Amino acid sequence: MDNKLAQELYSESLQLSNLHLGHSSTANGFNEADIQAEDGSLWGDSDDELDKASDLDREWQRRHDQFHTIGYRDGLIAGKEASAQQGFNIGFKQSVSIGYNWGLARGVTSTLACLPDELRERLIETQEKRDKFRELYESMNSLSTTDALKLFHDDILTKEAMEQREPAEASVGASQEQSSNSCSLGAYTAELQSLLLDSPEINVHFFHQEVSTPDVC
Amino acid sequence: MDSAEDIFDSSLNLEETHYQEGYKEGYNHGITTGKEEARQVGLKTGFETGEELGFYKGCVDVWSCAIQIEPTRFSTRVQKGIKQMQELIQKYPVMDPENESVQEIIEALRLKFRVIRAALGVKLEYDGCPKPKEIEF
Repeated sequence: MDNKLAQELYSESLQLSNLHLGHSSTANGFNEADIQAEDGSLWGDSDDELDKASDLDREWQRRHDQFHTIGYRDGLIAGKEASAQQGFNIGFKQSVSIGYNWGLARGVTSTLACLPDELRERLIETQEKRDKFRELYESMNSLSTTDALKLFHDDILTKEAMEQREPAEASVGASQEQSSNSCSLGAYTAELQSLLLDSPEINVHFFHQEVSTPDVC
Repeated sequence: MDSAEDIFDSSLNLEETHYQEGYKEGYNHGITTGKEEARQVGLKTGFETGEELGFYKGCVDVWSCAIQIEPTRFSTRVQKGIKQMQELIQKYPVMDPENESVQEIIEALRLKFRVIRAALGVKLEYDGCPKPKEIEF
């Protein structure tokens, strides 16, 4: 295999060097007949030489592409590996707090729904509010994690589109509000939050990004 | 003969150069596409991790409030378990996916949650809730 490659390589370079010499002597204004004679012994007539030249160009291009492609592929893999963890962390930090609040709302509503009636009545004063909690539980429970993920994904896409439109407003404060209010998943957590405000007996702590790490990308 | 050797050299170098050119191009491309691909994975994993942790937190918060109101309804064992869950959730490094303690904490949380759920006799789960693997006898 190595041998074959070397042979291919050498014979080609040799041909190229001859060709190169031939061209440069023409450029230097040597007698054309001389060159014809000189080349004749190697290449035959000049038509042939042209064919050979384009063949060589093609071969050269092919070889260039081949090595370029191998390099590209190796580079691509290395580049992906080098940036994977970083990219993962960025995505993770973007979504973990939203998932947390969503899960929290799930946990609160389902636990309330599972409590014995008397206990629930002591935690939530009026029947009207208990019904609201119940409704929220039912609508949240009908959404699977996959559904929630899809909603979340759509929210992100709209958010990113908005940020591209108004880069000035996409500052920290603005994105904070968007993540909790304007998104469809956030609507559930927002509703729970407002229900909880009226229920002083239930004490729930939502996740606030600014408290934990300010360096969220 | 010397000049001929130089030509071989340059031809080999050229191939190395082409390789390097391609490598550089691929690497830069890999950095951007790899980062974006990994970010998408991170978004999904982060959401799921957050959902599970938040779910436990929601349960624990409501239970804690219920205990405040009617302590006698919950056995000391259950109360202790809920408290331990609370501590585990607090310990969980939410913003540090590379932290190695993550797996251990979430496993402990799952276990405690199952025990409490069974003790209270309630059916608390959502479809993303991790199911216990095969039960070992």
